[in-house]
Amino acid sequence: MEDLRIISDKTRDALLNGGAKMAQYTVSQTETLEFNVSSGEFSLLRTLYDNSLSIVAYVDNRMGHASGNKFDDASIAAKVADCLASAKSGTEDSAYAIAPKQENACFHDGAYEPDTDRLFARTREFMDDIARNYPKVLVAEMMVSHVKRHSLYRNTNGTEYETKKGYYEIGVQFAGHDEDATTSFCFEEITVGDLDTPFLELGNLKKAFADAEAQLTTIPLTGKFEGTLILTPGSLSSFLYSIAELFVSDTAVLEKTSPWLDKLHEKVADPRISISIDPFHPRIVCGERYTDDGFASESFDLIKDGTLEAFLISLYVANKSGFPRAKATDLSLVMAGGDTSYEDMIKNTDRGIILGRFSGGNPSVNGDFSGVAKNSFLVENGKVAGCVNEVMVSGNLADLLNNLITLSKETVANGSCVLPYAAFDHVTISGK
Amino acid sequence: MLNDYLSGKSQLFSDGVHTELRAQENRLRRVSMVQGNLVANGREEISGTSARVYKNGVYGFSSSAETSAAAAETVLKAATDNALFLDRHIAKNAGPLPRVSNKNIPECKIIRDTNPQEYVDFVREIDSYIMKKYPDLSSRSVSIREDSMEKIICTSDGSCGHITSPRSYVLICLNAETAAGIPVELFEPTGGFGNFDDNFSDPSLLFPRVDAIYELLMKKREGVYAEAGYKTVVLGGILPGMLAHEAVGHTVEADLVRGGSVAGPYLKKQVGSPLVNMVDFAHTAFGSPAPLPVYLDDEGTPAEDAVLIKDGILTGYMNSRETAALYGVAPQGNARAWSFSDEPLIRMRNTAVLPGNDKLEDIIASVEDGYYLTHTNNGQADLTGEFMFGVCMGYEIKHGKLARPILDTTISGVAFDMLKTVDMVSDEVIWTSSGMCGKKQPMPVGMGGPALRCKVMIGGR
Repeated sequence: MEDLRIISDKTRDALLNGGAKMAQYTVSQTETLEFNVSSGEFSLLRTLYDNSLSIVAYVDNRMGHASGNKFDDASIAAKVADCLASAKSGTEDSAYAIAPKQENACFHDGAYEPDTDRLFARTREFMDDIARNYPKVLVAEMMVSHVKRHSLYRNTNGTEYETKKGYYEIGVQFAGHDEDATTSFCFEEITVGDLDTPFLELGNLKKAFADAEAQLTTIPLTGKFEGTLILTPGSLSSFLYSIAELFVSDTAVLEKTSPWLDKLHEKVADPRISISIDPFHPRIVCGERYTDDGFASESFDLIKDGTLEAFLISLYVANKSGFPRAKATDLSLVMAGGDTSYEDMIKNTDRGIILGRFSGGNPSVNGDFSGVAKNSFLVENGKVAGCVNEVMVSGNLADLLNNLITLSKETVANGSCVLPYAAFDHVTISGK
Repeated sequence: MLNDYLSGKSQLFSDGVHTELRAQENRLRRVSMVQGNLVANGREEISGTSARVYKNGVYGFSSSAETSAAAAETVLKAATDNALFLDRHIAKNAGPLPRVSNKNIPECKIIRDTNPQEYVDFVREIDSYIMKKYPDLSSRSVSIREDSMEKIICTSDGSCGHITSPRSYVLICLNAETAAGIPVELFEPTGGFGNFDDNFSDPSLLFPRVDAIYELLMKKREGVYAEAGYKTVVLGGILPGMLAHEAVGHTVEADLVRGGSVAGPYLKKQVGSPLVNMVDFAHTAFGSPAPLPVYLDDEGTPAEDAVLIKDGILTGYMNSRETAALYGVAPQGNARAWSFSDEPLIRMRNTAVLPGNDKLEDIIASVEDGYYLTHTNNGQADLTGEFMFGVCMGYEIKHGKLARPILDTTISGVAFDMLKTVDMVSDEVIWTSSGMCGKKQPMPVGMGGPALRCKVMIGGR
């Protein structure tokens, strides 16, 4: 790999010579090794070598950004010139800022070097495990990879972060399949820092494969009713990402479309709901160590006992809005579990849906959502009655958080987030 | 623009394998202003060299960020080694791929850059117009997105080409509140194939577009929730294009057919009413250039139209060279990659429902109780053919007339059931090309279609 310090030095010199008083710049190199499986068979082996040079510069309170993947002198000079030209074209805004000097740090996370033979063996083992234990599951596509990244972040306030990290990713798209019958596709993605565990034992994979086989038989659901929505950890994450985007993101705050703008330190959810952003959680793999603005990342509460404790905003939007900046940029969501088992959660449900995957339009800015319940099961009188299709669910995301019935004791980690099952009331469920 | 450093490298291709060598640069320009605040002002170029090698049913691929003759040699060796590794361990013994006719596509469009100041001034002028003319809006954003792919392709079958595909758009998003304080939003892209200066000259030319979006948003402010259930609807605007892409197109991509798509058992069978015809156009549609023309794919296959549905009968799939061999048909140029570091996948190009003979006003007048849906903000497909689209603008139809606007909702259905309910097809095709299809990699695609009367599930409250 190249000497990133030399490339970073050249970038810094060009920026300063070009008149940038404030800038941050990251150089990185990434190597990826990836096995692909298609229709249940190995199909492709990829090895990728890439570079990245990303620069954000500010000239007279005007911002520009440029990025590329070349490290030769001419390319660095051209990229810096591009960035400065963009900055000079921008609008003046005193809210643009980067972090003040932070303590320099080196971060080493995960398995930096790949174990190619063991990765191949684990992948074969996984395919054999699926075929043996779940004969009616067809793996449409699977990507199993190791990513190795060396990066160097610096800014004009003197902060330097060097990162060396390596991790394995397993992404599998599959469906229940039996002769001409097929189920909705399912997708599971898991990140791990080592290869010590057979892949089938990771995350929620066993349950996901078993559910896919069970989805081959469906029962009809007609009419419309208001009932219980049980979110799996996977579908809960998609709802939480929508909540983050619509209620607490840069855009929601800057555009003032968030219904929570006047709710900081006020109740927005059931008191049993606590959600933190925790890149240092032991079940989060290779979590973020510094923010996009150059601060050292910290864990923090987004919602604590139902009270909104933070917005997920950058330093720029913090300066524009007056709200505190988020102490981390990535959404490493960790939600505390409750005191009910998943089994009891189902037993206590009169009528509702276990939502495996939500396939819906982008929720409205006020949080209204409606979409198709994919990979989902009807629950009646405390029992799973069967898999449903052509069923829609609708409601409002803000209301949902206040209509919690219970959270499961069990939490599921996929390397990016740690979430329980969650049951909510008063959701509209409509069949054909 | 890329220099052709691949010239002569075909002599390095190994015997007994199929080889593709590609140089590629992706360029992105993005400027975004939210409430008058410049939140994005960026420029990106990502380029490199890649090779893919097929041997006995498995592929090896490798890529490098370098754009040089030496890099071409490095990735060729690595891709060959990767193919040999898999072949050694897997031993599929699938045999060679059938050859395709070779073709030489010369450089087809020059990619030009625009000065950063011009982008920002353009956005600022539109933003300023909105702010002054419509102070009652709760918020506004104006963005420019210009992206391009440039590829030099060279394959062991002798095909080669220098392909360029720039596209540029101005995206306007307006927000207001209903009387009850509920925020409502409307978003529209303008633009298409070509460099920024091909599509845009004077920002004031977009002011009527702003006025039109504002007028629609004011109607949407008065909107009501749709009534949930199985309804007769008129899919208008870009929704038929979304239907062609999401509901049908994905299910007939041959890799997804192999992965269990519902389309597998339906080949040569009736999947829609006889009024339904659907084609994935390569580069020319209805006598004019398609929205995002494709002349040669990344496997070196010359691009041809793929007829998917004819008179309601499913006639074919979209293929790569490998799946075409599996199904015993000729590939038609659907294998495309997004970045230099991506392998070609089966992708749609310009997928459309073909027009019929009905007039839109007659279709609306024929609906006693239903909905006319005009705008969508996303859509998803499934192996089962079950689809969903987010609908962000539409109207009730009562007694053959447009009635109240509706708030955001979602529609869904099962493609091959829903297509059988199509009983009226308008005579005008509306295209869109600003979106990205997601399937392991992003990919710019065109999609289009005429207004359709059909039955779908609509979500309400």
